[in-house]
Amino acid sequence: MTRKLRCHALALGVTVALALSGCGGSDNTATTAGNGSGLEKTTIKVGALPVPDPVSLYIANEKGFFKEEGLTVEPVTITGGAAAVPMIEGGQLDISMTNYVSTFVAASQGKKVKLVADMYQAAPNTFNIMVPKDSPIQTVADLKGKTVLVNNLKNIATLAVTTQLKVAGLTDKDVKFVEKPFPDMGNAIMSGQADAGWLTEPFITATQSQHGFRKLVDTMSGQTADLPIAGWMATEEWASKYPKTLAAFNRAISKAQQLASSDRKEIEAMLPKYTKIDAQTASVITLGTYPSELNANRLQKVADLMQEYGYLTSPLDVKSLIVTPASNG
Amino acid sequence: MTGARLLRGAAGAAGFLVVGELVIRFGISDGLVFPAPSTILYEAVRLPADPQFLAGVATTMANWALGLLIAIVVAVPLGVLLGAVPSLERTVRPILEFMRPIPSVAIIPLAILLISMEQMMKVSVIVYASLWPILLNTLYGMHDVDPVAKESLRSFGFGKLSVLIRVSLPSAAPFVMTGVRIAAGIALVLAVSAELLAGGVSGIGVFVGTAGSGNRVDLVMAATVWAGLLGVLANMLLLAGERRLFHWHKVRTGAPS
Repeated sequence: MTRKLRCHALALGVTVALALSGCGGSDNTATTAGNGSGLEKTTIKVGALPVPDPVSLYIANEKGFFKEEGLTVEPVTITGGAAAVPMIEGGQLDISMTNYVSTFVAASQGKKVKLVADMYQAAPNTFNIMVPKDSPIQTVADLKGKTVLVNNLKNIATLAVTTQLKVAGLTDKDVKFVEKPFPDMGNAIMSGQADAGWLTEPFITATQSQHGFRKLVDTMSGQTADLPIAGWMATEEWASKYPKTLAAFNRAISKAQQLASSDRKEIEAMLPKYTKIDAQTASVITLGTYPSELNANRLQKVADLMQEYGYLTSPLDVKSLIVTPASNG
Repeated sequence: MTGARLLRGAAGAAGFLVVGELVIRFGISDGLVFPAPSTILYEAVRLPADPQFLAGVATTMANWALGLLIAIVVAVPLGVLLGAVPSLERTVRPILEFMRPIPSVAIIPLAILLISMEQMMKVSVIVYASLWPILLNTLYGMHDVDPVAKESLRSFGFGKLSVLIRVSLPSAAPFVMTGVRIAAGIALVLAVSAELLAGGVSGIGVFVGTAGSGNRVDLVMAATVWAGLLGVLANMLLLAGERRLFHWHKVRTGAPS
């Protein structure tokens, strides 16, 4: 849908107030320019969660990798990959962080989203099921009939847990998944609201030190070893409208990803600047890996797992979702 | 009088904090982790030194003020118009009564879909939520005008517009002000909620979300304390303005000051 149509819908919309504050807003003027770099758009808004995954966005910004490409990037804090889809569709964001499960679900529902760059891939012990120290749950099989906390239902959390249940001869019908934000999981489990939680960093480390939790299982093992977790997405329309901008973004991000992969210190130095993870915590948490290019074969594994466990009803060809950047950008 | 009241209020707040501190430090079981009031207050005092938080407060307050202002500009004339033309009010009333109880926070997801610009989206939901208390209070104010005063002016030959300006508007003004004060509180709730749900470049709600993702519950609570303080401060300012501007109203209606 075009912006004009949106404006009409808005003007017709519910209140005088919405219309009064107007469609003729002034925010979107300074972005299109034909300057020396030849980019279609020189200022872009990029959505990211305040977590370790999108660290390369902030590294590229601070090291001037975007500037070298003639690009000004404004990071915008988002609240989740699924919530970011309407924002890239509506033009509030140009590019956004997303997790691959959300993107593939959105694509299977006909959303015109494209993956434009890779971001974060699981490593051992980056996503664990945690239980209290004195919990009777000793193996994954003991989870039968228990309540497991996940940050989102029907997403990467439940998918990762289900792959481990399968190894233990269980299915997702054998446990009860309950949605809970990561920061609340430790207390919820301690107060008996649930028996186990699917956690990532810095919460794995925090629940270990604050509540004395222990790891039940690493959910990024077996079928899910080295599972691609998160990437950058844009709408199909955006990607075809701004190919050079996208290529510039891609080069800068890729450079930052290489830096992040080669030197953990770069990540540790950056985390306290855009998250509330302090330097001390940043130095001890377990981090995933930061691939510098999108690889269809690796990503296909996510889609295949999703189909195997009923998250997708039909096969999804991941290659069709990947935008190959214009090489002569 | 005021001194004693302040003292009592302070004693109440202090007592509440002490009880909270004791419950959290000794009352709840060892496994639960929640920052004690002293920790939260300590972080709250330190927060103004955090540029990210300050930028957030500035953004939130700017959206809040702009939203409230637009709501006043829209709702007051609308309320006066509806109050002055009863047939129009009867036509619009069912729509108003239907829209008013819709929880304003529930329209945030819709606003995210419809309005592509971040700030405009946030200001729009603030306007939407602030509209109702101002509009309805203006309407009540218009209904509450002393009919004898209106009749007197009319019998002296004043026209409809004159009666409106000389009697109805001054009489309704204190009600409008009360509406604005109620709306100010609601507007702050919406300003922060929109940031919590939609994220953004900066804002108190954005800061809270970031602190939560970093497992800093103490900072989440400290920022919440500041949001509360800002709300109290705004209410106090508006209340003081109300007392100053409309002291005659309290005298007339015999309300205790």
